[in-house]
Amino acid sequence: MTVLELRDVHRTHGAGEAMVHALRGVSIAVQPGELVAVMGPSGSGKSTLLNLAGGLDGPTGGEVFVEGTAISQLSRRSLAALRRRAIGYVFQDLNLLPSLTAIENVALPLELDGMSVRKARAVAAKALDDVAISELALRFPDEMSGGQQQRVAIARAVVGERRLVLADEPTGALDSQTGESVLRLLRARCDAGAAGVLVTHDARHAGWADRVIFLRDGLVVDASGPLPEAEGLLEAAS
Amino acid sequence: MSIKYGLLALLERGQAYGYQLRASFEESTGSTWPLNIGQVYTTLSRLERDGLVQALGENPQGQRPYEITMAGRAALATWFATPVGDTERPRDELAIKLALALSTPGVDITTVVQTQRTASVRALQEYTRLKNRATGGDDISWLLIIDAMIFRVEAEVRWLDHCEASLLRHQRTRQETSTAETEVPDQAPEAVPTSTGETTPR
Ligand SMILES: Nc1ncnc2c1ncn2[C@@H]1O[C@H](COP(=O)(O)OP(=O)(O)OP(=O)(O)O)[C@@H](O)[C@H]1O
Ligand SMILES: [Mg+2]
Repeated sequence: MTVLELRDVHRTHGAGEAMVHALRGVSIAVQPGELVAVMGPSGSGKSTLLNLAGGLDGPTGGEVFVEGTAISQLSRRSLAALRRRAIGYVFQDLNLLPSLTAIENVALPLELDGMSVRKARAVAAKALDDVAISELALRFPDEMSGGQQQRVAIARAVVGERRLVLADEPTGALDSQTGESVLRLLRARCDAGAAGVLVTHDARHAGWADRVIFLRDGLVVDASGPLPEAEGLLEAAS
Repeated sequence: MSIKYGLLALLERGQAYGYQLRASFEESTGSTWPLNIGQVYTTLSRLERDGLVQALGENPQGQRPYEITMAGRAALATWFATPVGDTERPRDELAIKLALALSTPGVDITTVVQTQRTASVRALQEYTRLKNRATGGDDISWLLIIDAMIFRVEAEVRWLDHCEASLLRHQRTRQETSTAETEVPDQAPEAVPTSTGETTPR
């Protein structure tokens, strides 16, 4: 089943003269096991797309589906549950909770979801180990470097059985080797069945994706790799 | 080019004949640089002419192995000690293409840039797939070569991004100066120019 689908999605900000068209009709489908990279210049709508995909923001036109369910049809409660259970994020600004240690930050979504504290800690410890910072488990965010915080954020996004992983420039503060290990982790997650969307400026990181989508001024201008279902085109032709 | 030094480096490991050299060359460059046997023999005979290798007569299996000479070793050492100069690389066809696209009527340079970017990213996807598959094994020289290609293509994409951004900025300043020039002096202050150049009241 398609994990994520954006159907002719629009997003505008503001009104009248000052209206900004962040997305102007974007359609994308991401299947289980697939990692899709989104590239484009600054301001082209990449973060907007990711926020819509994760239900953090609503479209002004079109519809977003997660595992077949239209996000706009969900109650606040079920949307919150879906975000907690099924979707992992790495934000452009990391959003770690400052009052929690690294391992607590990673374990939190699992605990919120009803996993026992003990079990959640064990799973979180494994995730920190995957990003090679198990020795920092008890540090608070302000006691870690930018790159280390970034790895905590990544561990938090992939922990548990997330079926959709959304990452916005997850390798920003990382050196080339560590950045690559993050991509490997994301790749492995998708190979294990998750669907992933990765926003990146770095073509080397986009190289890990099955498909790369290029955005410019809120529109998909090109794509590399297997193209999305060309239903619209077929309909138009017939 | 450095097929010459590639063969010298292989012969430094020990004597070998043409087909062996071709196989080891391809193996050590991860089949990213296929050679045909003709190239191998032509290069070997040039190396022999220059005294860098010497042919060792036919063996009972009917093969004609070569071995590296003292002069060959010296040449190889110099090669490793010398950085690769910029002028030794082929002229950059892509840079030339973009420069020409700018000045050729009817060619949309942003399309040329995007077409190239998509192709380069696709190449990166393929290299990365190879790399991902290779890891776990111990073939470090193969990984080194894939990485070299990956970083080179990445640099190309960065350069394309840079070109596109500069072009956009250039076009914008040109548009601004041209709309400023065509502005009617006694125009009402409420009117603003639209992108099509017409003026509409706010
Ligand atoms: N809350 C907002 N109000 C007004 N405009 C906004 C808002 N959020 C985003 N935008 C605009 O929407 C467009 C797309 O923004 P977005 O953050 O998606 O870009 P991006 O591709 O992620 O850029 P970057 O690479 O710099 O992160 C930009 O022009 C931005 O200024
Ligand atoms: Mg962004």
